[in-house]
Amino acid sequence: MRFRDGRALSVGVVAAIATLVVIFYYPVGSVLASAVSVGGRLTLSPVVSVLADPFYTGAAHTLVTAPTTVPRGVVTWLRAGMPPVRLGLFGFTAYQAFLSTVASVVVGLPGAYLLARFEFPGRRFVRSVTMLPFVLPSIMVAVGFLAMFGRTGLFNDALALAGLGPVEVTFTLELVVLAHAFYNAPLVTRLVTAAWESVDSRRVETARTLGASPRRAFVDVTVPQLLPALLTASVLTFVFTFMSFPIVLALGGLQLATVEVWVFASVQNLELTEAATLAAIETALSLGLLYVYLRYEAAQIRPRGDGGGPTRTPLFVGRRSVLSPRRLALFAYGLVALVLFVGPLASLLVESVTTPDGQFTLEYYGFLLSRQASAASGTVRPLPAIRNSLLFGAGALALALPTGVLVSVVATRDSRWSRVAEALLTAPLAVSGIVVGLGMLRSLVFGTSLFGQRIVLTGPLAVVAVHAVAAYPFVSRNVTPALGGIDDRLVDAARALGADRTRALVDVELPLVAPALVAGAAFAFAISIGEFDSTVLLAEGVDSATMPVALERYIANRSLGPNLGPATAMGTVLLAVTTVSFVLIDRVGGRWER
Amino acid sequence: MKRRTFLARTGIGAAGVTALAGCSGGSSESLNGTLTVATYSSFTGEGTAGNWLKSAFESEHPDSTVEFRTPESGINQFIQRKAEGAPIDADVFVGLNTGELVRADEELDDALFAAATDSVDGADSVKPSLNFDPDGRVIPYDTGYISLVYDEGAVDEPATFDTLLEPGYEDALITQNAQQSDPGRAFLLWTIAAKGADGYLDYWQGLLDNGVRILSDWQPAYQAYTNEEAPMVVSYSTDQVYYHGEDVDMSRHQVGFLNDQGYANPEGMAQFADADNPELAREFMSFVLSEEAQSEIAVRNVQFPAVEGVEPGGDFGEYALEPPEPVTFSYDELAGNVEGWIDEWARQIASN
Repeated sequence: MRFRDGRALSVGVVAAIATLVVIFYYPVGSVLASAVSVGGRLTLSPVVSVLADPFYTGAAHTLVTAPTTVPRGVVTWLRAGMPPVRLGLFGFTAYQAFLSTVASVVVGLPGAYLLARFEFPGRRFVRSVTMLPFVLPSIMVAVGFLAMFGRTGLFNDALALAGLGPVEVTFTLELVVLAHAFYNAPLVTRLVTAAWESVDSRRVETARTLGASPRRAFVDVTVPQLLPALLTASVLTFVFTFMSFPIVLALGGLQLATVEVWVFASVQNLELTEAATLAAIETALSLGLLYVYLRYEAAQIRPRGDGGGPTRTPLFVGRRSVLSPRRLALFAYGLVALVLFVGPLASLLVESVTTPDGQFTLEYYGFLLSRQASAASGTVRPLPAIRNSLLFGAGALALALPTGVLVSVVATRDSRWSRVAEALLTAPLAVSGIVVGLGMLRSLVFGTSLFGQRIVLTGPLAVVAVHAVAAYPFVSRNVTPALGGIDDRLVDAARALGADRTRALVDVELPLVAPALVAGAAFAFAISIGEFDSTVLLAEGVDSATMPVALERYIANRSLGPNLGPATAMGTVLLAVTTVSFVLIDRVGGRWER
Repeated sequence: MKRRTFLARTGIGAAGVTALAGCSGGSSESLNGTLTVATYSSFTGEGTAGNWLKSAFESEHPDSTVEFRTPESGINQFIQRKAEGAPIDADVFVGLNTGELVRADEELDDALFAAATDSVDGADSVKPSLNFDPDGRVIPYDTGYISLVYDEGAVDEPATFDTLLEPGYEDALITQNAQQSDPGRAFLLWTIAAKGADGYLDYWQGLLDNGVRILSDWQPAYQAYTNEEAPMVVSYSTDQVYYHGEDVDMSRHQVGFLNDQGYANPEGMAQFADADNPELAREFMSFVLSEEAQSEIAVRNVQFPAVEGVEPGGDFGEYALEPPEPVTFSYDELAGNVEGWIDEWARQIASN
């Protein structure tokens, strides 16, 4: 029995890896290979020349150019009182990613606390829509941020009413970091909330009956169970913001360029060796970080029983409770969240119904209707775009959920091989979208000649496959910690009673990790809805355009003058459709929850 | 690499024979078949120049169909296809500028485009100043002029490049990233034209010290300008064609020609050397140069016509401004230089 189950699992993993090879490793590998081969010969010279260039590596370039002088240089620097050193492109990118990660955790963590520990009207709704920022195209976020925090934005208007301000944050690192927090704090909130809801409350109670104070029980019992989720979120945020580029360019400008900005520019100028070299170094850094993290996570996972999650306390109990310090702090947090999350989204809505001169208008929604009625060639129509987005999202979800769970099962096995397989299977998270897009273009979109036949992989199926590949690591990142936390004895008991491994997984383990599974599903759907780069490369013509593609096309539209009205109207539609979808995912998924 | 190129060539050879067979009936018959036009996405769709061209051309040639392809990476898609030996699958490219042609020629050994100026009717009517391809492959069909757009309530008209370095213009200018944005690249080239290849980096250091902002592309830059983040933005001299009307504050839409100049950015079209339907392609290009098409393209694409003597009337005629002295770099001046100029510029900006 055990042998057969093991083989079934292996077959699943092999199938997943085979798919990955075709639509991920082969395309990406073909791009990265140009970093280590010049004229068909293996060489490290492109990598060395990047590492030796102070523009890229700042003060660290001496590690390559003159390694023997490094110790003396460090001593001199220490003696001089550690003055600021030149960071270089990589150093600056890491610095902003670090700041962005800190900001995301600071903003996201209280949200998880609020959602996991308190009951209040609309809690489920808020929990569902925490994924919304994930689906928003960066151009829309940039617009929302400028409208909210700009010189003449809503935030400064509000400050002026209070006799404060104005603050000028546009084109600063602060605003870029804030926008990164907008994107990634929900990730922190989602992952930590899911972990918190899976905390075994019996163990907390046990600690309490043994005399631990609430604080002590929290630190000794709850925190260790939250830590893997928090670190997952932090590592992912760091990797994502390290690879950030549209937000940096839109809100900070070229003065705050990151490595990815350079990769993008190099690709545009067809300097592919330079792009590949930068991307290879970038990928190596993120993969290394992920691998170190996965090893840590494997060591952290500890079994827990089925004690049920912690009970939530009501946020409002009479008037007096509102004035308790903890609740006051939460209200203050709510205010911050309102400014940071609702502000830009609301500004987007306002932009969609106002002209550049501030007059109310429904012209932009009229524009959407006219596109829908149009038969002109090359017109992206809104309704098919909505339908495609939902279909691709559902398809990606259907593929990503089982694959992600499969990877989690591999990950929770205790062997070195599992760790390597897991790192390989998590790789899509660590590779920049530009590299994936470029590889996709050269391999699948252009096609490959095999036996005189040109094999081209485009169309809806390819889009769904690519979305699923981008999404399933999120499912497994959600599910692995929760699955690893399940007490082995429960599974053993089920197996002893006659259930095979698959049955035990479906009947016993998955219901126990339902919150994490639902969170993973929301991620998978969000990734698919928000995906833009490979969708435009793989979708055949305007008939398979998705909502973000439609939005991008409406930005370039000239019929209503150069303004973002039509795009913000489409952005509003995107927001509405995805809000409903997330609430549905949560409701449907919620049937599994206790 | 060699082998793939060979394979692809044999494939193209076969296609060429088929095309020839199709034509053997004689060119006097009306043209038929499908013409695949590759262009940028905003050239197609409801109300665009591309859509007008499609309907008008199809009604003139009832047996033909025009189809558009709008790859996200633009001409890069076809340069890479050619380099990889993948099929081109298009007959004409519409929307090519000088820098892109330089890039295509530098990247490829084989010809991506066929010579056209001698075989396309009307090609000789294009304004000579706009012709940017010394080999006669690319035919310009319209042009824009890069200029500044400024808020006259906030700043005085910026007269020269040096004016922009004055304290009165501190934090006043938003431009675009020359690595990826057409107007951004044009503005950078304009400063190189004005300050020389030896002096432009110093000039940009001056701009940086005076608080210039460099955003990714025209849209975010113009959006920031609309949001009053700065009183000047690099844009097109046709700005007022969009923004005019009774309740529009035109003081926010003043066009500034630095040194009385504007940088011309002609857009061209070319027939792919691997076109399946070269005859139809040439007919289409000739159609694009007709007077009626030139007027329509100008109005719908908000760019100036490329053909001599075409004057679009209406709002366009009234509100589109032409610089007293158009400047632009020729193909030969850009070849071998443009990438280095941009790279050094970007490194200087990002090191700040």
